[in-house]
Amino acid sequence: MSTDEYLDDVEWTVDDQGHITVDNGDCEDCSDKPCLHLCPAECFDHQEERQGEIYFSYEHCIECGACLVFCGNDPDKGAVSWTKPEGGKGVEYDFG
Amino acid sequence: MTDFDVVVVGAGRAGTAAAYRLAQENVDVALVDRARQPGMKNVTGGVLYGEVLADLVPEFPEEAPLGRHVVEHNVQMLHDDASIGVSYRDPAIREEPNYTVQLGEFDRWFVRKAEEQGATFVPETTVRGVEQREGHAVVATDRDGGDITCNAVVGADGVNTTVGRTTGIRDPVQPENVGLSVKQVIELDRKTIDERFNLRSGEGTAYIFAGFPEGAPSVGYFIYTFESTISVGAVGNMATLQTYGDQGYDGQGTPLYDLLTRFKELDAVRPLVRGGVAQEYQGILVPEFGYDDLPNRHEGRVCLVGDAAGLVLNKGFTFRGLDFGVESGIRAAEAAMQCRKRGNWNAFGERYDALLGDSYVMDELRQHSRLPSFLENERLYEAYPAVARETLKQTFSSEGDASGLTWKHALTALRRQDVGVRDLLADGWRAFRSV
Repeated sequence: MSTDEYLDDVEWTVDDQGHITVDNGDCEDCSDKPCLHLCPAECFDHQEERQGEIYFSYEHCIECGACLVFCGNDPDKGAVSWTKPEGGKGVEYDFG
Repeated sequence: MTDFDVVVVGAGRAGTAAAYRLAQENVDVALVDRARQPGMKNVTGGVLYGEVLADLVPEFPEEAPLGRHVVEHNVQMLHDDASIGVSYRDPAIREEPNYTVQLGEFDRWFVRKAEEQGATFVPETTVRGVEQREGHAVVATDRDGGDITCNAVVGADGVNTTVGRTTGIRDPVQPENVGLSVKQVIELDRKTIDERFNLRSGEGTAYIFAGFPEGAPSVGYFIYTFESTISVGAVGNMATLQTYGDQGYDGQGTPLYDLLTRFKELDAVRPLVRGGVAQEYQGILVPEFGYDDLPNRHEGRVCLVGDAAGLVLNKGFTFRGLDFGVESGIRAAEAAMQCRKRGNWNAFGERYDALLGDSYVMDELRQHSRLPSFLENERLYEAYPAVARETLKQTFSSEGDASGLTWKHALTALRRQDVGVRDLLADGWRAFRSV
């Protein structure tokens, strides 16, 4: 169960700043951590030593908006602050 | 004096249709998109029902880069490794201009057509917010000095609409109201696709699947054929994926990419997708609203079109949305033309909403208003496929007392699944009323 094989085929122009940030303080109280199975690019990694056990990386985000819905918009969670990348940055699809 | 009459945010089919129509009438319009090239951020399944686009751009079927002309539709019910399917070809719908499309090349073509009409295309620019002021609106972008003033704004920026969120037109989206979808593009050569799917050159087919994994409500799959690629994808309601299964952190939930991988390995699916070279992987959210809970789509000088307004019809794992986007974009353009004629843009949003209300988009959504709740019924995904399988097994198996298809077998199978005749009749009635 991994997206590695899928993400091999995706291309990005990676920005030096992240368009999504995660406030790990909010992850501490989150009991179900849906980010770990609902992000289709596995940008959220389970690492026990991290605050709230979550490590987030934006570089291979495919900009679907799922984390805005399952976390950012949920008043009980709200760790995710979500924006779109700068113009010309982020994921780039050939087929679409 | 504003920079433009209208700023359209987002160059998908909806926004580009609006810009095209406005430019055609010599309205000063900017089409702003965050991708380096049109289409690079855009994702679909996908089949374009092309009639409304053919009305807007008459040369569309001959000139646009299209996949294959869809001449066959397949529906497959899965139950474990068994499958039960219906395949539909019909000369009566053969001539309809319905094509598989890949948006990389399609949207690039469509934006060029809008530019030819006179629209100003602004690429590589992310819109950060829209503000309505006395007598005009301001579109804030991430460019230096990049605020654009205009008389009206068309928010065509997709399911995660910045225009809708920053103006407060849209409430925060909840998991129940979106489908999460992932899709893989696999390259096969043209001849292999023709032979494997029983197609003549240029002909295409569409497959939808349900019933896997057993009992998962609101999870479906699709396969579409393109010239020398196929797309294979999964879509599931986010609230379902959050809690169905046992693969999540707290023992609940299912990763959709894992379902897609397992789906591709099913007996009924592997022969269709095997071989070939994986080319791309995409993820997207699909609006899943019913007619009665469609979100707000306008305020003052701002309107939302296409996915930004939730204008997608879920007909049971097949989504109708691309043409709704085009039609809603055209209606936004018509509203702008009315406002310009009267020299008053304050009621732009209301005019758009009235025009959209008269369109076939709202007719179709209204007509299917009961479909979403019908599709949430778990019996559809668990008991009924099992019953159909049992009944067909009795018909086709050469073993034992298999004596053909009878009502007795069907009813026995229903009882085994703990479905009463009353449930069966009620579901049948709901299905009838929902379409």
